[in-house]
Amino acid sequence: MKTKKKLSETIYDKFSIDFLRNQVLKNAYGNDDTVIAKLDPRILLVWYLFIGLVPWFVDDIWFLMACFLLVMVTTKLARVAGLVLLLFVVGVFTQTGYLFVVSLFFGGDASTVIPLLILTLKVATCSLASITVFSGLDPDRLSNGLMWYGCPERLSFSISYAYRILPMLMEEFQNILLSYRLRGNPPASGTLVGNVRYLCYQVNIVMHSFYPLMLNTAKRSRTTVEALEIKGYRYAAVNREVKKMKLSTLKVTYTDLLFLAVSFLWIALSVLASALF
Amino acid sequence: MNIIEIENLTFSYPAAGKPILNNISLQVERGDFLAIVGNNGCGKSTFCKVLNGLIPHFISGDFEGKVLVDGLNTLESDVGTLACKAGYVYQDFENQIVRPTVLDDASFACLNYAMPDYRERGKEALTLCGLYGREDDYICQLSGGQTHLLALAGAVSLRPDILILDEPIAQLDPGHADRIYGVLRTLNEKHGKTIIVIEHHTEYIADYCKHVMLMREGGVAWKLPVREALRRVEELRECNIFPPQVTLAAHQMQREKRIPAQRPLPTTVQEGKEAFCHLSYHAAARRDKVRQTAGKAVVSFEHVSVSYRSVKGTDRVVFDGLDLEICRGDRLALIGSNGAGKSTMMKLMVGLLRPETGTVMLDGEDVRKQKPEELSQKISLVYQNPEEMFIKDTVAADIAYAMQARNIKDYTKRTERLLDRFHLTDFKDRDGRLLSGGQMRRASLAIGVALHPGILLLDEPTANLDIATRKEIMRTLSEMEEITETVVIATHDMQLVCEWANRIVVLCGGKVIADGTRDEIFKDRTVAKTAGIRPPEIFSMGQVLDNRALCYTVDEFLQGFREV
Repeated sequence: MKTKKKLSETIYDKFSIDFLRNQVLKNAYGNDDTVIAKLDPRILLVWYLFIGLVPWFVDDIWFLMACFLLVMVTTKLARVAGLVLLLFVVGVFTQTGYLFVVSLFFGGDASTVIPLLILTLKVATCSLASITVFSGLDPDRLSNGLMWYGCPERLSFSISYAYRILPMLMEEFQNILLSYRLRGNPPASGTLVGNVRYLCYQVNIVMHSFYPLMLNTAKRSRTTVEALEIKGYRYAAVNREVKKMKLSTLKVTYTDLLFLAVSFLWIALSVLASALF
Repeated sequence: MNIIEIENLTFSYPAAGKPILNNISLQVERGDFLAIVGNNGCGKSTFCKVLNGLIPHFISGDFEGKVLVDGLNTLESDVGTLACKAGYVYQDFENQIVRPTVLDDASFACLNYAMPDYRERGKEALTLCGLYGREDDYICQLSGGQTHLLALAGAVSLRPDILILDEPIAQLDPGHADRIYGVLRTLNEKHGKTIIVIEHHTEYIADYCKHVMLMREGGVAWKLPVREALRRVEELRECNIFPPQVTLAAHQMQREKRIPAQRPLPTTVQEGKEAFCHLSYHAAARRDKVRQTAGKAVVSFEHVSVSYRSVKGTDRVVFDGLDLEICRGDRLALIGSNGAGKSTMMKLMVGLLRPETGTVMLDGEDVRKQKPEELSQKISLVYQNPEEMFIKDTVAADIAYAMQARNIKDYTKRTERLLDRFHLTDFKDRDGRLLSGGQMRRASLAIGVALHPGILLLDEPTANLDIATRKEIMRTLSEMEEITETVVIATHDMQLVCEWANRIVVLCGGKVIADGTRDEIFKDRTVAKTAGIRPPEIFSMGQVLDNRALCYTVDEFLQGFREV
């Protein structure tokens, strides 16, 4: 009983807003010194295009396994935060688990596992590749890479600006939630009905908290808009010279080539293996 | 040579009845360090936005007259050209930082204006602003003071001849404030920049500025050399500007004919030393503020340790084995530099944070074991940023929220009473966010006391307020004694501490390094030095004259020092 209580307490603690905030920030800021973060964003985007798309059109188990192992390694290298990985595992598992149950219900048997496994591998590979690229890359490098491929400047600015205000927004959101918690009066929990009502109350509060958050953000954006004008953001958007200067920081190094070569070799080996066996 | 020349400038916002800037003519010399003072809403910020061309190019309105900035007519040049002449740092400077990393933000403007050496310029600006070595850090890793320096670096990187800062030290502890002004002084003296600050703290004006400009109802009342300006005590006070305490004391003595009328008033402690040299200290009449009786402990910290998970590297330890008791009837001031753990301590007391080891007891019971609805009857926290307390769309609804949630029957009546007590009835149907600084703060106090908590915690209740509003808040604080028995305030405002508190707790490095009355705290200079706190100016004045003198207010100084 005591350990159970302790366990529920630690779980509760783990999922405090503070923890969520820390995980999100860790994901955004905490891994800029990894191998993946140092890669050239253009190379990584090409790599992502391949790993994210090709598996959908291939049913060869060897190939899919190889891709999956590859993205597992890159995810490990990118040092992705635990919460993101947990969400990934839960997401993928519920997808297949649910399909498996449905298939059993309609008269399937163990042989249904194989096609499901293939589908799972496809989904998992694709998700992990996305996680590697979008959480492993520094926001600024990611947006520069996108810009090189011709995405509008505004999009790339928005991405890096989002990363700038993320910590501020999360802190403010946390404080507004605390306001509700301090002044509100949650329904008693303990019984089943009570717990459900308590949960509904909490969800309700989280939704309500967005309203003050929006208004506060609108208030502070007045300064930001003026500051952007002073800092010449509007001039830069129409100046091709600026784009060239920004992109001149991108450089393909030996590490990038090595990364591509290793990935290529690994995939080639898997194709070879599937041809042989 | 004049770097700014203004002739007959009049400006009004669209749909505003009367002009916010009214017929201003002014010259500012190159290399000046100018302080702009004036009432809230007298047009100081608007005036500064005229100088960098935001008005009339970005913010429209009726614009008349001529403004020349370094020879350029602002009407004929665009914001980009003017930004390279005059840099601007906002009061809410966090919102002007738009990039995720330090060097990126410092060089952002230069990149936008397509300067090929943008990185070098960014680095140079960071070095000038004392942020050398932090180039690759993320903004969220900087402290408040460093963030401000970064905002300044972002402006400096364009190498403008003029730098304009709107209330640069409003939220900073004295250590950080000195650093900002130190940087400004170097930029002014070594690099020949013209600096314009909007500032309420006259002590800093006396120490750093060369000229002072007083604005009154949209016009320039006068612009004078700093000493002369600060000696115009009456005029300044009419505009809610409070001259340095030393000047105030001397002014009062002059009126009582205790120092000769023709003698110029001192504006700094150094000058005061001469002006007051004929006085000597008589300790007889004074008494220290004491707690009548140390009441029962209402909050106690027992070996509390807390650390924050950090994004990178090791966790930051805030408290390590903290022990403290807060008793009924305490008017306790928590002081210490930025990041010493004042806010953390308050969050522990309301159970929002969980200590890693140790317990926080409230009324003899672990805070974490008490239900929130019981807790909020006993203790209440008012945030530093009032906007985060407004969760409903009118002030009245916000005050009523907690009472409504608890089905208190006469909550409408109680809300009305609170609105009345905090002078908020006139704007009870407005959104709290749209009120002025002082009104917002009063509204947040009203929300905080709505449930009649036994203990009230206030985080920086006087930050960002001009002196008049500050006095108003202090009056409200003393009125609140009827509602709550125990009040804890975390603050940098030493005048507030000395006038209001009966117990002071100094936090430094995660420990309580001193705990006692104001005499016990300020007599010991090592405490102030280690914790980075500074007593009110008049206290330092008294100490310079006689080290037995412990005067915390101008009145105490006037009584304590007499002619031989």
